[in-house]
Amino acid sequence: MVEIGHFALILALVLSVVQSIVPMVGARTGDARLMAVGGPVAVTALALIALSFTALTMAYVLSDFSVVNVWENSHSLKPMLFKITGTWGNHEGSMLLWILILSFFSAMVALFGGNLPATLRANVLAVQGWIATAFLLFIVITSNPFTRLIPAPIEGRDLNPILQDIGLAVHPPLLYLGYVGFSVCFSFAVAALIEGRIDAAWARWVRPWTLAAWVFLTGGIAMGSYWAYYELGWGGFWFWDPVENASFMPWLAGTALLHSAIVMEKRSALKIWTLLLAILTFSLSLLGTFLVRSGVLTSVHAFASDPSRGVFILAILTFFIGGSLTLFALRASSLTAGGLFHPISREGSLVLNNLFLTTATATVLIGTLYPLVVEAVSAEKISVGEPFFNLTFGPVMLPLLAIVPFGPLLAWKRGDVFAVAQRLMFAFGGALLVVLATLLFIDGASVFAALGAGLGTWLVLGALTDLALKSGIGSVTSAVALRRFIGLPRSVFGTALAHLGLGLTLIGIVGVVAFQSEEILVMKPGQTVEIAGKSLRFEGLQPTRGPNYTEDQGRFWLLGADGKPVAQIVSAKRFYPARQFPTTEAGIKTMWLSQLYISLGDSTPEGAVVVRLWWKPLVLLIWLGPLFMMAGGFVSLMDRRLRVGAPARRKSAGPVKVGVAS
Amino acid sequence: MTRKQKRLSVIAGALAFLGAATALTFYALGQKASYFYMPGDLQAATLESGQRIRLGGLVENGSIIRGQGTEVAFGVTDSQETVKVRYTGLLPDLFREGQGVITEGTFGPDGVFVADSVLAKHDENYMPKEVADSLKEKGVWQETKQ
Amino acid sequence: MLFWVIAASLTLVASLAVLLPLARRAEEDVDKSHDLEVYRDQLAELDKDAARGVIAAPDAEHARAEIARRIIKLGSDDQPKPRSGSMLAASVIGGIAVLAVPLVSWGVYTVAGSPDIPDQPLSARLAENPADSSVNDLIARAEAHLVANPSDGRGWDVLAPVYMRIGRVSDAVTAYGNAIKLEGATAARQAGLGEAIAATAGGIVTADAREAFDAAIQLEPANPKAHYFLGLAMAQEGKMVEAAAIWRQMLVGLPADSPWRAVAEQAAAQAGGKPVQRDAVAGAPGPSNDDIEAAASMSSGDREAMIENMVAGLDEKLRQNPADPEGWLRLVRSYSVLGKNDQAQDALDRGFAALGRDSDGGRKLSELAGTLGLKATE
Repeated sequence: MVEIGHFALILALVLSVVQSIVPMVGARTGDARLMAVGGPVAVTALALIALSFTALTMAYVLSDFSVVNVWENSHSLKPMLFKITGTWGNHEGSMLLWILILSFFSAMVALFGGNLPATLRANVLAVQGWIATAFLLFIVITSNPFTRLIPAPIEGRDLNPILQDIGLAVHPPLLYLGYVGFSVCFSFAVAALIEGRIDAAWARWVRPWTLAAWVFLTGGIAMGSYWAYYELGWGGFWFWDPVENASFMPWLAGTALLHSAIVMEKRSALKIWTLLLAILTFSLSLLGTFLVRSGVLTSVHAFASDPSRGVFILAILTFFIGGSLTLFALRASSLTAGGLFHPISREGSLVLNNLFLTTATATVLIGTLYPLVVEAVSAEKISVGEPFFNLTFGPVMLPLLAIVPFGPLLAWKRGDVFAVAQRLMFAFGGALLVVLATLLFIDGASVFAALGAGLGTWLVLGALTDLALKSGIGSVTSAVALRRFIGLPRSVFGTALAHLGLGLTLIGIVGVVAFQSEEILVMKPGQTVEIAGKSLRFEGLQPTRGPNYTEDQGRFWLLGADGKPVAQIVSAKRFYPARQFPTTEAGIKTMWLSQLYISLGDSTPEGAVVVRLWWKPLVLLIWLGPLFMMAGGFVSLMDRRLRVGAPARRKSAGPVKVGVAS
Repeated sequence: MTRKQKRLSVIAGALAFLGAATALTFYALGQKASYFYMPGDLQAATLESGQRIRLGGLVENGSIIRGQGTEVAFGVTDSQETVKVRYTGLLPDLFREGQGVITEGTFGPDGVFVADSVLAKHDENYMPKEVADSLKEKGVWQETKQ
Repeated sequence: MLFWVIAASLTLVASLAVLLPLARRAEEDVDKSHDLEVYRDQLAELDKDAARGVIAAPDAEHARAEIARRIIKLGSDDQPKPRSGSMLAASVIGGIAVLAVPLVSWGVYTVAGSPDIPDQPLSARLAENPADSSVNDLIARAEAHLVANPSDGRGWDVLAPVYMRIGRVSDAVTAYGNAIKLEGATAARQAGLGEAIAATAGGIVTADAREAFDAAIQLEPANPKAHYFLGLAMAQEGKMVEAAAIWRQMLVGLPADSPWRAVAEQAAAQAGGKPVQRDAVAGAPGPSNDDIEAAASMSSGDREAMIENMVAGLDEKLRQNPADPEGWLRLVRSYSVLGKNDQAQDALDRGFAALGRDSDGGRKLSELAGTLGLKATE
């Protein structure tokens, strides 16, 4: 089975080469048969890579330590779930997952792209083929997960314990679905450049793909953030770590792409810009892969790094980013530009959105790469952290957030800001109320925190106002309003949900950053501590054993107002003997949207232990927000007008067709 | 305003915004980037008082002293020079004698480095990359492949 | 065999994926009116939306006009017509592609793959007869057992000397430690622990090791291993007389056929005879029982070679990893003991260079140089 997987992988590589050449030659020469090769080849490649991935997973499940990759990252006593997730918890396996998802998307284009113009479809598949070829070569040459080890050891070296977590089961696949989903947009863009024209179908295809990729990426980032929050035991939700930035940049660029694609679809404008954004977004995804995989940047993430892999990925990066941008420079002028439009309009506001988002992307990019550049030029080592991003990313994003509610309410073509402002009075009033309430009723609230809370409220209420106005609540009878509400296009719901989610996240961030309380102290068994008005009693340390670790559990009781125990919270220090690796398991008690977070430090011989406690008000909103955004993206994707990428090919010629085509 | 003027003003606005963002970025890079030093680099470095830096190296053997409550003092060394570091808080899981760490903070008036964060990163070799690079240059440490 | 059948069928499927579309008859030529269909579809949607009242009438009118404009624009657009290529070129490319699939994939796999190695799932391997397994397998099996049952003291007891023998000395320390904790201290376990600790310290009988040997003697006053190493500890501190005394006394209590007799005799003779004790050097990389037995039964020439080998190994290790004060001390002492004063001086200088004269290690080196009569100054 292992060797079958290896063989299937190589076979898929060869098929990808065929896929990257033959359809494109077909498109150049107008040979329908050559173009038709792309589809079946893409589907077969998916089947082969899936087989390969299954083979590797089986090796993990069966603890086949004759496979180096399994030996290095698994252990026979690991719980089954982590054996399976361990498949992609390491460099080789995760690259295989990457390519599996890529080939999945190629196959989707092949299967559902029947209504695309044949040359466009052929070119798109060919570009997908290039990407697949590059990454399959990378896997086979530098990171082959099927390398064997003879004689096989009896026991593996275990997966890095901080990766033995349910978060790992979900985080990388979601992230990759996002990263790689943008490859389709990229391929469409490059195909359009190769053909020298932007199809109407391009506009209709690029938006659902962007949406889908964006939904996954949003989920992946949020999941990763939550994972870091509870698994690393530092209590933080975002560290501006290079690896986080690596996923955040494509997200920002992808968000911009999402919005500019709307303009392209609805108004046939911003075509070239959208195309450039599509290229940039995927380029940033590749850059992210490079940064994570090559180890050029220091990071809290624990993936292995290897310079030769770095050079290979750098070559891939140069080829795709350099190549596509060169192609863009050469061909963009020959594309028909879209129309111009009035600055005060829906499309105008979307352009503003793009301006802010791309600038924000640029600040993150600079902050992430600057240390590399400095080190290369001057041999000095610097690190760019939170203070930098607070000073640059913040000021760029805040005005954007402030104008978000205006966008959906502005009319296409020619809008009226004052009229929109009037309609948003209610939302504005609500936000103002929150600002005042925060200042008045919460001790020690800074003006800045109050404004942040107000801005979040503004976003939430703005989104609700949008829905209310569009369904006519207040101006028509409730029955009519309800009917209209149900009849609203799903994309309207999508927009409102996503913007609402943004507001929730902002409120959560403000809650944690401005209002969290923190306590570090040494606690003896039986001692009680007060935090944010809650009493917590430390019971003591209790050694226990898990399947492949031992741990010291610190048991805490949350005391009610009467001093009686209400709930138990367990925080632990774990030790994994196979890797001689300690981890901290934070004890978290969720109360409504807030959390009490306990993490343990060293213990003293007398049974006392260093304890770090946080009260994190509204912290769950930080991740609830992205869930709303994902829901918004998903609802938008379900919009009938998006679900059909382009019309089904009709054999019977309609009246319009006869008029023009013959 | 004519159509052309309108368009120009829009473009001017966008450029002004980009200019402001660029200026802000470079200002922030100058102010907020913290430099990374090994103990041996510090003599050559000119530090303003209160300047935040990152100090990396190995935790000196036998140097960890636990004070009152959560206070802890330890030495960070590149095996040639050693800097005393004071820190209050929870030490990371992988903080051990002889292991690589990165601390971030400022020098106090008494010449002791007051750290507000201590990282012992989860590198494959349990060695933060910056520290590993610098130690490799000094020939103190090399990667062990298993 | 099964592998080749499956591989062949996969190749066949892959080749067919390329071949079948090529073999099909060419479809009608490329549809150039595709954009039009998109727009027509949009118009139809618009009508539906308008009928459902989702879109206001003026808006719908605007949109309809917009789409109409695009359709008109479409007519004026020059669409690049795909050139009709020669059928021959297409056939050649298609042919190459079809052939490449089996040839390249089998070629690459032959180089990269290992078709002869079957799957080796752990459960199947553990079900095999233990007698067929290699030593490593047996150790791994024991380890797996101990990970599952870490409180099996007898298991640790069995494993500890095995670790020692194959050179996994720090694992041996853990194993002896666990055996003592779970099964209680015996002289053999304590002496083994001491030996393992000394081996992890590169042969130096450290304070921890001495503690273990002392404990062993408490339990069994005549334990030869403990006595031997305690003597070695003295010798390593330069107290030759005391060392020789310990070894001589040890000889008194040893039975005539004890393997330790030769070792102790040798050590005592050297320590007492001249201020050089070779076995202290031989002990450097941590001699296991076997090594000691081997050394005892060797001719003196062989023993010399073995010792030099060990020293050369240490030298090499320090070249790669110079930050090891203990190592430098040992190396300098070893060369000096072997009578190679030039090399001792060289090692001393290198040690200073690596550690710095003012470091702890540097000072210790200076002290050692003084006792050995080497030049400690530049």
